[in-house]
Amino acid sequence: MSWIDWFKSSKPRAAFLEGYVAANTEKIPGIRPIDQLTFVILDTETTGFDPNSDHVLSFGGIKIKKNILQIADSVEWYPKTDRQPNATATVHGILQQRNQLELKEFAVKLVEFLGNGILVGHHVGFDLSMLAQILKPFGLSNFLNPVIDTVQFAIRLDYGPLADLSQIAKEPYSLDQLCTRFGIQLDDRHTAAGDAFLTAQLFLKMLKEAEKKGIRTYSDLFR
Amino acid sequence: MNVIVNRVAEFLHRFPPFSFLEREDLLSVAQQVEIQYLEKGETLFTQGEPARPSFFVLKEGTIHLVEKTQNEEEIREICDEGDVFGVLALLGKRPYLLTSRVIQNSLIYAIPVSVFEKILEKNSRVSLFFAAGFAAGQVVVRQDLSQGQKARSVLKTQNKDHSLLIFSEKSALTISESVLTCQPNCSISKAASLMAQSQVSSIVITNADGFPLGILTDKDLRSRVLAVGLDPNHPVSKIMTSPVITQARQDDFSTIYLTMIKNRLHHLVLTSDGTDQSPVTGLISDHDIFLSMGNSPAILIHALVNAKEISEMKAIRDRAEAMLRYYLENEVAMDFVSSVMTEINDLIIKKAVEMAKSSLSEEFSALESYKFCFLSLGSEGREEQLLRTDLDNAILYEDVPDHLQEQAKIYFLTLGSQVLETLLACGFEPCPAKMMANNPDWVQPLSQWKTYFSQWISLPTPEALLKSSIFFDYRPVTGFKPLAEELTEHIYQEIRVKKGFLNFLAKSAVDTPPPLGFFKDFIVEKSGDHRDQFDIKSRAMLPLTDLARVLVLSQEVVGVNNTFKRFEKLAELEPGHAELFTQAGKAYEILMRMRAIEGLEKNNSGRYLSPTSLGKLQRQLLKTTFLPISDLQEIVRIRFQLDLFRS
Repeated sequence: MSWIDWFKSSKPRAAFLEGYVAANTEKIPGIRPIDQLTFVILDTETTGFDPNSDHVLSFGGIKIKKNILQIADSVEWYPKTDRQPNATATVHGILQQRNQLELKEFAVKLVEFLGNGILVGHHVGFDLSMLAQILKPFGLSNFLNPVIDTVQFAIRLDYGPLADLSQIAKEPYSLDQLCTRFGIQLDDRHTAAGDAFLTAQLFLKMLKEAEKKGIRTYSDLFR
Repeated sequence: MNVIVNRVAEFLHRFPPFSFLEREDLLSVAQQVEIQYLEKGETLFTQGEPARPSFFVLKEGTIHLVEKTQNEEEIREICDEGDVFGVLALLGKRPYLLTSRVIQNSLIYAIPVSVFEKILEKNSRVSLFFAAGFAAGQVVVRQDLSQGQKARSVLKTQNKDHSLLIFSEKSALTISESVLTCQPNCSISKAASLMAQSQVSSIVITNADGFPLGILTDKDLRSRVLAVGLDPNHPVSKIMTSPVITQARQDDFSTIYLTMIKNRLHHLVLTSDGTDQSPVTGLISDHDIFLSMGNSPAILIHALVNAKEISEMKAIRDRAEAMLRYYLENEVAMDFVSSVMTEINDLIIKKAVEMAKSSLSEEFSALESYKFCFLSLGSEGREEQLLRTDLDNAILYEDVPDHLQEQAKIYFLTLGSQVLETLLACGFEPCPAKMMANNPDWVQPLSQWKTYFSQWISLPTPEALLKSSIFFDYRPVTGFKPLAEELTEHIYQEIRVKKGFLNFLAKSAVDTPPPLGFFKDFIVEKSGDHRDQFDIKSRAMLPLTDLARVLVLSQEVVGVNNTFKRFEKLAELEPGHAELFTQAGKAYEILMRMRAIEGLEKNNSGRYLSPTSLGKLQRQLLKTTFLPISDLQEIVRIRFQLDLFRS
C-alpha cells in the first residue's frame, strides 16, 4: 500500500495510548543490567494464522522483574470476537469463553500491562501482529517496545549472534522441544496463559545460559 | 483465576502445609508467588543474613542447607522437590541460621510472608505444622507433626545481638586507659619491642608533657620500615603519623565514633581536652568497636569499602536501613543518624564512580586526566537523605580544549549513566524530573554551570526558582572539589550583584501557607491518590528547607548544607533570633524522623501521613514543629521587604 493509503487508513491516536507511547519513547540505557529490566512474556491463541482475517481469542502474559517470575503479574484475557472459530479453536478447546472483554477495554488493559517492558514470546512476531490488529482502530499500528523472540534467542545461544537463520533446522526450536531440553514439564499446552508461563520459565532458564556467555546488559541482549 | 495461578496452586497443593489450605486461600497464596531460577553453585541466602520477606518451596532441583563453622561447612538438610525452607523469616524475623547452596539447578518458589501470616492466624493445622518443623530442623519443614511441643522452647530463645544498644549504653564499649607511649627520639626497634611486650598494635608518641605528637601502628612498621628496608635505629619521629586526630575522653560515643568513621581511623587518641595540646588519656581502636557490636556503621562501611559486586553493595545498603530503623526508634541524635547514612550513601556513589571510571579508562584515555566532580543535589546534597528516595545529582567537569569538547560530553555522560545504573541497582529511586547525571543537561563543564546559575539568578522565573531550590543545595561527593568551590564562589558573586534574586527566592519561601488550617487542623490533600493525607514533605519540611536556604545564602555561608545545621549556624550568626532558629532546627529533625519512620513502616517515601492514624502525642508533636514556620516567614518577609515587593 502506498503512503497515501497508509495516511488515510491511520486513525488518530486514542487518549489511553498517550502514556504507553510516552513510556516507550524513552530509550532504555544500553548498560542497564538484565536483572534491572522488566520482561513481559506473552502468548495468544487465535482463530487462524492470517493477521488480516483472523482474530485473537485469548491473551496470556506474565512478567519477569529482577530475574524473578512474578505470578502476581500474570494475566489471562479473552477479547470479544464475533468470528466463528475455525479448526484451531477446537485444538485449543476455547469455544465461547467466559468474561469476554470489549475490544476497547482489552486494548486499554493490554497497553497498560505491556508498559515499556521488553516483549518476549515464542514466534512472538505473529502474536504481536495479531494483537496489533486490535489496536489499529485506536491509532497504534505497531508495538513500540523492544522485542525478543525466544526461537531466535535459543538459536543465538546455540550458534552465536551471527548464525545464518536460514541454514538452521527449526525443529529443535519448537516450544515443546525447547521445554523438554530445558527440563520444563509441558502443562497447559495450547492455552495462551499456559504457553506464556512455559515460555517464561524457558526464558528464565535461557537468561542464565546467556549470562554464562557474557550477555549481561540490555545492549548485550540486542547485539 | 487464570491458568498460571492455577498451575502454581496445583503444584503447591501437592505438599504440606499447602495441602491443608482451602482452595480460596491456596489461590491467594499462589497469586503472590515469585519464581526464580538458580544454577548449581549459586547461593539463595547466606547464614547470618537478615531474613527475607519470603520463605521458599523448591519446585525442582536440589538445595543443601549448610552450616558454616570455622573452617568447614556441614550439611544440615537436603531439600528436594516440594520441601519448604527458609521459614525463620515467617516466624521470627531473625537472621538465617544456615546457608542455602544450590547443588542442582533449581527452580524456587518464594512465598511472601505477608500473605501467609493471615493464614497462620486462622488455620491452626498450618501453624502447628510450621511450629513442628521449626523445632525439628530449624529451617526445613518436614512432614512430621509429632514435635509440636518442642517449638515453644525454640521460640523462647532470644536473639543475642546487642550490636546497636551501644548507642544508648556507653558502658558497652571499653576504652583502654593505659596507653602505651614513648618519646619521639626513641628508636623504631625499641618502640616495636615495647609494642610486642604489651601486645598492642599501636604506640602513641608524646612529648615531655604527655601531649600526643604522633602515632605508630603495626601497619606503619610493615609498610614504612620493613617494606622499604629502613634502618630500625632511626627515631620513631621519622615514621610516625603526625599530627594525630584527637577527641576528648568525655565526648559522647557518637562524636568519637563519627570521627573514626569519617577519617577512616583504626586508632583514635583521646586527650583530656580533645586537642593535641593536652595529655593523652585513652585510646580507642576499631577492633574494640567491632568486638562490641555486630551490625554497625563501621562494619557496614568496612564491608562497603571491600564490596566487589553491585549486589553486595545493595545488600549492605539494605542492612543500613535496618540500622536506620533502630536509630530512629531509639531517638539517636538526628545529626549522627544523617551523618552516618550520608557517609554510606556517599561511599556507594564513590564506588559507583570508581567502577565507571575504570570501565571507561581504556576507551577514553585522552580524557582521564581531566578533572570532574560528582555533585549530589536536593536532599542528598543537604545530607538529609535517610531513605532511598529520589536521586538528584549532576556532573561538573573542568573546561576542556575545543577539540575534546564533543568527546568529553560523551565521556562524562557515559560515566554519569553508568553511575546512575549502579545506584538504581542499589535500590535508589530515579528522579521523576530527571535531574540526574545521566541527563545531558546536567552533565556540563564549569563554564556552562556558571551560565546556568547566572541565568537562574538574573531571570528568576518560577522554573528557575524551582531549579534553584534543588541545585543550590549541591554538594561535591567525589572528584575534584575545587571545581565545586569555584562554582560556589561564582554564585555568591552573582547574588551580591543581583540582590533581587534573593527577594524572589524569599518570596517563594514564604508562599507556602502554614500547615494548619483555621481550626488548627492539618491541611490535608483535597484530591488525588493521597486524599485526606498530610503531605509532610511539601507542607512542613519544604518551607523550612526553603527558609533556611534563603537565610543562609543571604549570610553567604559556605559549606553548610544540612537544613538543621543551617538553622544552628543561623542561631550562631544572629543571636537575636537564636531561640527561633534553634527551635526550627529541632522541628526539622523531628520531621525527618517522623517521615523516615513512616517510610520504613509503609515501605515508601514516607511523604504522606494520615493524620487520623497518628496517636494524640504524635499529632501534638507534629503540630509543634509547625510553630517556627510562620515566625520565620515573618522574619523573611520583613528582611526582604516582601510586602513592597510585588511580582
